[in-house]
Amino acid sequence: MGVLSNTRTNMVIRPPARRRISLLTALLYVGLSIGAVLMISPFLFMVLASFKTGQEIVQVPPTLWPVHPTLDNYRQVLGGIPFGTFYRNSIIVSTTVTLSVLLTSSLAGYIFAKFRFMGCNLLFVVVITTLMIPFQVILIPVYMVVNAVGLLNTLWALILPAMVSPFGIYLMRQYIENLPNDYIDAARIDGTSEWGIYLRVVLPHTRPALSALAIFTFVGSWNDYLWPLIAINDQNKMTIPLALSYFNSAHATRYDLTLTAATLVVVPAVLVFLALQRQFVQGIALTGLKG
Amino acid sequence: MHTMTQTNARGRHHAPGHRSRLRFVGLGLTPIMLLLMVFSVVPIVGGLALSLFHYNGLDPQHPFVGLLNYKHLFYDDPLFYTCLRNTVIFVATAVPLNLVLTLPLALALNRARHMRGLLRTCFFLPITTSAVAVALVWLYIFDPSGGLLNDLLQAFNLPTGQWIDDPALALPCLIVMSVWLDMGYNTVIFLAGLQGIPDVYYEAARIDGAGRWAILRHITLPLLQRTTSFVIVLTVISYFQVFVPMQVMTNGGPLDSTRTLVLYMYDNAFSYQRLSYGEAMAVVLLVVILVVTLIQLRVLRAKWEY
Repeated sequence: MGVLSNTRTNMVIRPPARRRISLLTALLYVGLSIGAVLMISPFLFMVLASFKTGQEIVQVPPTLWPVHPTLDNYRQVLGGIPFGTFYRNSIIVSTTVTLSVLLTSSLAGYIFAKFRFMGCNLLFVVVITTLMIPFQVILIPVYMVVNAVGLLNTLWALILPAMVSPFGIYLMRQYIENLPNDYIDAARIDGTSEWGIYLRVVLPHTRPALSALAIFTFVGSWNDYLWPLIAINDQNKMTIPLALSYFNSAHATRYDLTLTAATLVVVPAVLVFLALQRQFVQGIALTGLKG
Repeated sequence: MHTMTQTNARGRHHAPGHRSRLRFVGLGLTPIMLLLMVFSVVPIVGGLALSLFHYNGLDPQHPFVGLLNYKHLFYDDPLFYTCLRNTVIFVATAVPLNLVLTLPLALALNRARHMRGLLRTCFFLPITTSAVAVALVWLYIFDPSGGLLNDLLQAFNLPTGQWIDDPALALPCLIVMSVWLDMGYNTVIFLAGLQGIPDVYYEAARIDGAGRWAILRHITLPLLQRTTSFVIVLTVISYFQVFVPMQVMTNGGPLDSTRTLVLYMYDNAFSYQRLSYGEAMAVVLLVVILVVTLIQLRVLRAKWEY
């Protein structure tokens, strides 16, 4: 393992007092490196398989690098299904949901944090109660509601139920509660309107919480599978995870095609993740929320 | 919503400008609460009510049947118990496995000074990707005929397995895949918890001559207990609702060995149109999750106070 020798040379540079623990540190890096390889290798196999022929993928012994690299899989996948449409649908849904959740969470969070009015405690209890109910439990009734208003099989079915996030409201209320009232009072004395205070005083101070909420809402919406599976039938309305699953059912055990489709889904997400990793990690740390 | 604007108008604060404040509250909150009512509150209450009716998408009549759906569930449906058992096995295996991997991983990542960014990226990568895409990759790994794992085993002349086609191995395979998929979340939360522990405790312990393991046992782990409890409770709740790996990779098979509660609920409601029967299952799932969560909060809180 090259990693081990690397670690050792690095250890020499560090203060001699710590040399006692160098074996433990070496083990630490070996363990972490093995783990990291295990985490990465399924992605690696997926991407490499997308350049192999169907025959090469299932052959024994398996190859790591494609022996006869080909773009044929990409030609077949992109020619067979409207990937652009799926990306467009996912972008429309996830962007609308995210913007809406940012607006509704910050507004309701601000109101619950800084305003006293009759019924405010009761309404907040309602928010907390809905926060604690898993979506799986209300899946069937939500389906019936969306069906009743005639929105099944439209992108609105994916957007409307997700526009308000009880978790987002709760998060923003906790965050805004810690903002000093002085800012708000000073703006009021200056004659700023209530909406002006919300937009120009409160919102700018909530940027860290908002960006965490934005990343989570977007990723959650982008990867959501169960609800689109129920709400959408029409291929032209499908979002990416749903389309991928349908593609798999249609081409079961054609790993050359399914892994290519999966690569087309995963690689852009990974690139975005690499660009936003810091914010993403801070977001999880701040909210403890799963995507 | 009508009642709400009325109550707003009777707010108790009579400071100057309270009218405009109340108008802001009313205008801002009404549409939000309305959406929350329609897509959360009504479904919660409606779901409870629905489970008391016979509501089959194929029948024109939807008579009130009381607890009949629940009676069917508990007395006439052995598959329900299979699903309950599979779900409990999944939770009881995947949660400890997840913790046993993520806590040491977070401790290790917290210590690692070199290649910090690269290592973290590797471990966090799966959490942003679509579970469906990941499930397809693992389908290729675990496929007994032509899958990567068997090909590798064969290449080294090792015995191959039937993996996701084997009723005894399918659920463990899905557990491995699920833990791999979301290890990153809990690792990040643990890392945040570790970084939240003030340095003074470590410094004090070092001055007292405490060794590495003593510090881990008597400082790090106790001070991390809040984070640990939080992680356990959240992971248990989310694993009770596991659906995607089963639906994409095995569709409950072979021999129902990977059929979980949410998958069975989904099939009942949307494949067989038995909406009220599916909802009764959802209510049972909710009760199970609530009870398990309450027990955990109780047990874990007792530990903090110690």
